[in-house]
Amino acid sequence: MIASRIKRFGVGEGLANRFLVTCMALGFASVIIAVVAAAWMTTRTQELSRWVSHTYEVEIAITQALNGVEQAEATRRGYLLTGQEIYRTTYVQAATKVQPALWRVHWLSRDNPEQQRNLAALRRELNDLQRVRNASVALMAAGDRPAAVRLFADETGARRMRRIRDRAGAMVTAERVLLDRRREEQAASLRAFYVTLGIAGVLLVLSALASLATVLRYTSDLGTSRDQLQSLNDSLETLVAERTEDLTRANEEIQRFAYIVSHDLRSPLVNVMGFTAELDAATSAIGELIDRAEERAPDIVTDEARFAAREDLPEAIGFIRTSTQKMDRLINAILKLSREGRRVLLRETVDVAALADGIAASLQHRLDEQGTTITVQRPMPEMTTDRLALEQILSNLIENAVKYLQPGRPGRIVVRGSAWAGRTIIEVEDNGRGISAHDHQRIFDLFRRSGQQDQPGEGIGLAHVRALAYRLGGTIDVRSEFGQGSTFRLSLPTVMNEEAR
Amino acid sequence: MNDHRSVSIVMIEDDEGHARLIEKNIRRAGILNDITHFTDGTSALDYLFNASEGPALNGPALVLLDLNLPDMSGTDILARIKSGPASLKRTPVVVLTTTDDKVEIQRCYDLGCNVYITKPVNYESFAQAIRQLGLFLSVIQVPDPEQA
Repeated sequence: MIASRIKRFGVGEGLANRFLVTCMALGFASVIIAVVAAAWMTTRTQELSRWVSHTYEVEIAITQALNGVEQAEATRRGYLLTGQEIYRTTYVQAATKVQPALWRVHWLSRDNPEQQRNLAALRRELNDLQRVRNASVALMAAGDRPAAVRLFADETGARRMRRIRDRAGAMVTAERVLLDRRREEQAASLRAFYVTLGIAGVLLVLSALASLATVLRYTSDLGTSRDQLQSLNDSLETLVAERTEDLTRANEEIQRFAYIVSHDLRSPLVNVMGFTAELDAATSAIGELIDRAEERAPDIVTDEARFAAREDLPEAIGFIRTSTQKMDRLINAILKLSREGRRVLLRETVDVAALADGIAASLQHRLDEQGTTITVQRPMPEMTTDRLALEQILSNLIENAVKYLQPGRPGRIVVRGSAWAGRTIIEVEDNGRGISAHDHQRIFDLFRRSGQQDQPGEGIGLAHVRALAYRLGGTIDVRSEFGQGSTFRLSLPTVMNEEAR
Repeated sequence: MNDHRSVSIVMIEDDEGHARLIEKNIRRAGILNDITHFTDGTSALDYLFNASEGPALNGPALVLLDLNLPDMSGTDILARIKSGPASLKRTPVVVLTTTDDKVEIQRCYDLGCNVYITKPVNYESFAQAIRQLGLFLSVIQVPDPEQA
């Protein structure tokens, strides 16, 4: 359930991320497009503006040339009329202004073949005009005024002048047309610029909105998932607390049950054993009576009576005795386990190696007899746990190893320890008779034993070991191959939990 | 000072077998005092507090108390005896029970129990314990209620 939720959050996150990135990319792309468009549009507008001013320059140059021509005409007429020298000098001045203006027009409109053609025609007309004018002015200067006036009257000056004006007007009009077109282009380019800017702006705003929405949604998703995780965590903690409480209660119940049962079982056993002893005492009294009767009056002693007093009764009492003794041992075992479960554990630093050495030393006599060796491998980790419980566990395991050796094979017992991730693993390995696979779990049950029953015992030791391991917050298991040996592996928290029970 | 009335033994024990075994072993130890046997707490308390020959009103006595009783806990009886009238309060109480729980033993001593004996399942030990109790009974100085 938790896993699926987390998975769902993960997918949502991925989608949101992709969408977010897309929006951001779109936003940045639109900004870049807007900048490029603006730059391009600005360049283009500048160019167009230059072309517009160029057109004006051409127009001005044409007008200047025309002005020069008109002025020259006016001064020539003045000269012809009055013969005053001032008109002639003014005429020469005006006439010389025409050529530079024409050259300027030529240079400005060098890219426009139509204007060049117009200009060439204009230039021809002007050259003709100039020639006639110069001739008339020269005649006048020579003092031949009538010839000059005649030449003036004969010439086609007025018509030519009109043609020149028309030609110049046409050129100006052509430039105007160009100007209009360029203005239009400029306006269109500006419009395109604004449209591009507008589109980029809209895109930017849209992507910003989308990003904002995604971020908001993502944030709220995160918040929700955090809340859900929090509540899951809380409920898990509550669950764990509840389970722990249940377990504790169940454990206490079992302890109490074991204690009461063992006590209440003991009570009748006191009677059985007590009265068996009474029976025993009575039997010996009867036996004596039979003995005396056989001596004095053998005829009253039947075989049956003799047999009952000497064989049946002692035998029956013997069986009752051994059975009740066994029952007493079993009850004591339960009582011991129950008491062990109620004992308050004490935390202290325990040197496991020293502990194992102590246990080995206590068995030394037996080890020497059997030729068995116990090796406590070092380094061995230190632990903080209940010393008594750990000692009971280890001594049970080591004693078992010593007890269940393979006959004819010198016993080699190894105790080793290692610490890993807050837990200490202690292994007790032997080369003894081993345990068949189907008994690996069973041997930890109370009153259950495995293999050949040639050693004394009630099947309590390993049950006790397991109960103690659980109490210390650990586990115990066994790896064994029948006939090869066994390794008991004890896994305990290196530092016992304060709340261990 | 010396009272010649013999100390009577009040035995509160719900198990008839145990009672019989205790009595037999007491007799074997040579104790011949009267033994009054009760199998439940209610009638025992009634006797202790109200009977004309009971320890509250009359002669010296000794109480043998089992803790596991059907109608009430032996510690309750112990508490009642030790908070009763002076003559009853001074009556020695021997707790004789199967429970060997340390806490339980401590509680009994706290409540004023004089001797605590665990009934061993092993009969020899049991008989031994009772005989020791008999020795104890022969040397015990039971206070005279009239001098209280």
